Order: sequence, then structure tokens, then C-alpha cells
Amino acid sequence: MGMSIQVLLDVLDRAHTGPVCSVKDWDTKVIPGKVSEKLSEHGLKGTCTPENPINTDDGLADEFWHAGFELAVDVGMLCLDTERVIKFTEEELKEAIRNAPSELILGEGLEKVLMKARKPEDKTLPLYCAPIGIEASENLWIPLIQGIAQHRVIDMIQGCSLRTVLGRQLRSGTPYETLAGRVQAQMHREALWRAGRPGMCATSVITSPTVYGQLGGYGVPGGYRTSDLALVLSPAELKTSYVSLHKVVHAINCGGPIFGGSSSVIGGYAGPVEGSTIAMVACALLQIAVHQSGWGSCSVIDMRYNGNCGRDAQWAISVAFQGITRNTRLLTQSVLNQVAGPCTDMLLYESAVGMMNLSASGLSFSIGPRSAGGKYADYISPLECKFCAEVFKSSAGMKRVETNELAKGLIPKYEDKLRNPPKGKSFTECFDLKTLRPTKEWLDIYLKVKKELVDLGVPLE
Amino acid sequence: MNSPNLPVEKKKKVRSPLSKEKILDKLIQAIINGDEAEAKKVTEDALAAGIPPLDLVKQGAVKAMDIIGEKWRKFEIFLSHVMLAAEAMKSVMAILLPKIGAEQKSKISLGRMVLGTVSGDIHDIGKNIVATLLSVAGFEVNDIGVDIPSKDFVEKAKEFNADIIAMSCLLSTSMYFQKDVIQYLKDVGLREKYYVVVGGGPVTADWASEIGADGWGKYASDAVTVCKKLVTGNVRPPLPKPILIGE
Repeated sequence: MGMSIQVLLDVLDRAHTGPVCSVKDWDTKVIPGKVSEKLSEHGLKGTCTPENPINTDDGLADEFWHAGFELAVDVGMLCLDTERVIKFTEEELKEAIRNAPSELILGEGLEKVLMKARKPEDKTLPLYCAPIGIEASENLWIPLIQGIAQHRVIDMIQGCSLRTVLGRQLRSGTPYETLAGRVQAQMHREALWRAGRPGMCATSVITSPTVYGQLGGYGVPGGYRTSDLALVLSPAELKTSYVSLHKVVHAINCGGPIFGGSSSVIGGYAGPVEGSTIAMVACALLQIAVHQSGWGSCSVIDMRYNGNCGRDAQWAISVAFQGITRNTRLLTQSVLNQVAGPCTDMLLYESAVGMMNLSASGLSFSIGPRSAGGKYADYISPLECKFCAEVFKSSAGMKRVETNELAKGLIPKYEDKLRNPPKGKSFTECFDLKTLRPTKEWLDIYLKVKKELVDLGVPLE
Repeated sequence: MNSPNLPVEKKKKVRSPLSKEKILDKLIQAIINGDEAEAKKVTEDALAAGIPPLDLVKQGAVKAMDIIGEKWRKFEIFLSHVMLAAEAMKSVMAILLPKIGAEQKSKISLGRMVLGTVSGDIHDIGKNIVATLLSVAGFEVNDIGVDIPSKDFVEKAKEFNADIIAMSCLLSTSMYFQKDVIQYLKDVGLREKYYVVVGGGPVTADWASEIGADGWGKYASDAVTVCKKLVTGNVRPPLPKPILIGE
């Protein structure tokens, strides 16, 4: 995947010379106004169908794609530091999409994996990366990541965020963060070596809330390798900042591939669920144009429960990504945001619905899970990571009509608990740290839900 | 003979003065629409027409924000709309508050607060939601932005004569700065002066208790309940146990 210094300079120049717009105007006028305009122009207001949470209408997905593409061209991306808009012409955006890869080899040695662009209902296997950056204690970090990496169904590792670095409280933006980048890379290597999978690709550096963790840990001797993905996460959909752009420059300096991403918020700046869906499409495309991300990447959060396994959010994910994957050959990525914790059946039901949807809607890969909403340190275990990967891959080739019916049966099992989900149990409470195996309680829940899914027709082994 | 083409004196239309109810309706509508310029104009016109400022606050601005709050709870309107309405309301209050006596003023405002996202964290949506909901509820909110150094929370609180310091954060590695602000308040002998409330994605009730905050809410809307309880309670900061909503 080649990255271009010329594209980088164009983006940096536009961040300095583009049209002026205050953050306040962007949030309260530009985004809601333009999104509303696109919804009206394309007849998309009120098209969300919560009773059918996974879209099966190709025409609707295509209309959202067109609206999202137009939104990306019309508004561009705001640079928070300069309060200027980085804009692209229609042709420039099309060129960025054309130049983005349709397949990518990631990892090293025996752990090399091929990521391919997929279409809805595609039989090509997607890739799964676990876990998402939930905070973990320093002393549990290596066994936790080892426990996840030991499952061969998982293709890549992101890791957890560190709470401390060498015993010191890790404050973002301080030299502790710079140190944490390097320390985490070392721990990452150790965990993969213990799991017997040293060549697995990493998405890095997750403990880099500002640019310092990335500078300290990516591409430096003993740090993350340049065959690993350099994470460039935006603070919000359709916004970037110098923190993100510094990370882009650093990845280009090191010659590493870039993984951009962000989330739209249902009820937020883009408004209703249909507005967030358009914003997701635009965000995914602009990640490629602005951050030179290797794929179209965006997720969604429903602010009513801070997750995305409810009906509206699942619908938004299905429509946005069906639109993108039907109309391009882009690699695509999205994140599932569960709210229930480990050792609960709710976490597995949420995961089953979401992973089936992502697979059937044509995603190339996904990172997760966000067990317990990512709220609690150490509330993540290897078993739900394995479960997500299993469902994601086994759903490849499933029809959306079938997936929608399954989702309609499973969502009622948890939707009334989305605002007050069970916290579940921490890694140490539901896993044996010596054997890295789940407790009987957690394993029984896993087997029960898995059997239930098999009985419903999910082709799990 | 044709009558000469002389200009005909048109009868001037005399606009009948709007009733107080209609003016208040116009004010409410302007705020609900988030039309700051119109809201200010209606307010000035209303004052010129002799409507008491306190009536404009209670029967106009407050009523508008009640309607906005209700629509937001029902998900009929979304964040940007609520932010615009809150801005329109603030501009109206900026005209009216100086005209209202100190005693009445204290009855209108639930309290004054500074609110921001802590150092190292540039996420703003959670902070914006909380700031807007608190404004809608009747607090005077000074939103000091994102990536705010610990000391600045205290300095801004002093300048604004705040009752409450509210800190948002989405990153676990920025949570420590919430603790730092509380420690700084203690170190400079000001902990007894301000209530401190914390919130954000990774911020839990346990964390709020551990760092000695006075309040925490699970969801953005809980922040209003927490802050109301703080300012209407009889306990001065720091509270022996924080108010925790949605635990």
C-alpha cells in the first residue's frame, strides 16, 4: 500500500488555506444543515426500519451511498486546530477511492493474512482483529493478549490500553505516554511470542491518545513494526486535528500502512439515524482522502445507550456499508460496540447480531469486542473475542434476508437492557490465568449461546 | 376631465400592539428554532413594550427550554438543534439578567459552572451534550472547551465565580487529570469552594468516589440531576460521599 507525500502535502496545505469555519458553526450549522439537505434531496428521511434491523434493500443502500459521497464532497473534513476545511473536488475524491487498495497482505511469516474487499453476502472470509482498546492492568496485559492470540480464528491483535506504565499512572500527553508506546510494543511482542504467533499483525499504538504514544512506539527500534498498522483515529466524524495528522506523517515517515477511523453518533451532530448513516459513508471516504487510510472505516454509536447493537444502529451499519461495498472495491472496517460484560449471555447475543450483520453487509474486517462498553478496566476476556471471530467468519456468504430474520429473533433478548446492561465479570473472575481457559460458568454460557445459534441456522462449527 | 394623476395618500397601517401572550409565544418560538438574532430582537421589543424582564424569563425563556428538553428526551430533535436553542436562550438571558434584581436572579439561575474536557483529550461531543442539557435546565454554563490543563479549570472557575467545576473525558489515560484538578483545589485551599462533578466514557462511580469528586452520572442526562442535587442540598463541598446517579 503506497502512501503519497504529495497527497500529504496537499492535505496539510488545505488544512492551512481551506475555507474558514469555526467548530461551533461546523457542529451546529454546517453538518446538520448539509446532512438534512442530503436526506431531503435523496428522499431518505424516515427510511430507517427498526423492525427490520438489517437492510435488504439494495436501492436504499445505493441511495445512501450517493448521499454520503455528495456529503463528503460538499463539506470535506474540518481541521480543529486551524478551523479550516480540507475539501476535495468530486474527481479528487473519486481518484482517492480508485487509488485505495482492494486487497492487502498483513502480518509476517506464518501469520500473514490476506485482507480482501468484499460485497454483501460475499463468501470471502473477513478478518477479525481483537481486542479493541479496553483498558487493562499492566500485570494482566500479557496473559490477556496471549489468551486472545492463542485462538487462530483471530487474525490480528490491537491490544488493550495501558492504565499504568512501569507502575506509574499513565497520563495522556505526558512523557509517560511516550514511554508507554515503546513499553506496550515490547509487551505485545512478548504476548505473541508466548502464543506462538510472533508474526501477527498489530494495529498500533492503542495507548496513544495524543501523538506521543505513536511517536514513542511505532517504527522505533524494538517498537511496533512498520508491517503493523499505524492507528489514526479522528475525534469525531468529519473532523481531524493535528494529533491525527502528526500520526499520518509519522506513519509515512516510517513507511507503515495507515488505519484511519472514527464514529458517527446517532442523535449527535448528524441528527437522526439516517443522518448518521450518511455521515458514516462520508467519514469512511474522507478517512481515505485525508488520512490515506487503507480502507473505508467508520462506526456508529447510539447516544441513548452508548453502544451500537440496538436496532437503529445495526440498521445504520448495514445500510452504510452495503452502500460502500456495493459501489466500490474498497477494503472496509467497522467496530461493534457491545455494552454487556464478559460472562453474560447478553454480550454474546449482541456480538452474534452485530458480527452477522458486518459479515453479511460486506465488511473486510472488524475490530472488537468492546465488552462492557469499554467502561471498566480488565472487563474483557479471550472467549468473547473468539466468539466474535467465529460468528463473523461463519456468517460469510449468509443472505441478508436470513441474517435479518436471525437478528429479529435475537435482539429482543437484550434490547430492553441496553441502557442498564449487566457488567459481567472481569478477566481474572472468568478466566484461569494459569491455563488461560475460561471458568466453567463462562464456558457453559458460551456453549449454550453457540448451540442456540446453531439451532437457529447460523453455520457455526 | 380625468382626475390628475396625483399621489394618493395611503392610509398608514397602524399595527396593533401584540398582546403579551403573543410576544411571549414569539420569544418561545425563536428560542425553540435556535434563532438567536430573532430571539434577541423579540426580547428587546418586549422590554420596549413594557413586559417585565422576569416574566420574559419565566414565561418565555424557561418555558422554551422546557419544550426543547422534552423534545430532546423523546429524540424528536438532536444535539445541534438543542445547542442552537441553548445559545439563543443564553443571548436572551444576557439581555434580561442585568435588568433583574439580585434576589430574583438567584431564583432564576440554578447555579454557575465551568465545564470542559480534561487535558490530553480533544473529544467534545459528550461535553457538548452535558453543557447543553445543563443550560436547558437553568444552569449558567461556561464551556471552556477541550484539552484543558488542570490549573485552568480552577482559574476559570474563579473568574466565572462558579459553584461547580465539571470535567468530561473519554480517554482512560486522561481520567487522571480529573484527580489532578481535585488535588490542585486541595493544594491551593479551594476544595471547599467548588463542587466537582466528573463524567465521560470510562469514568465510573468507583472512580468518582476514589478521587473524591462530589458527583457522577452514568449518562449525560444524569448530570442535570446530579448538579441540581448538589446546589439544592445543604452540604458544602467536598461531600463526604459523592452523589452517584445511574450506578
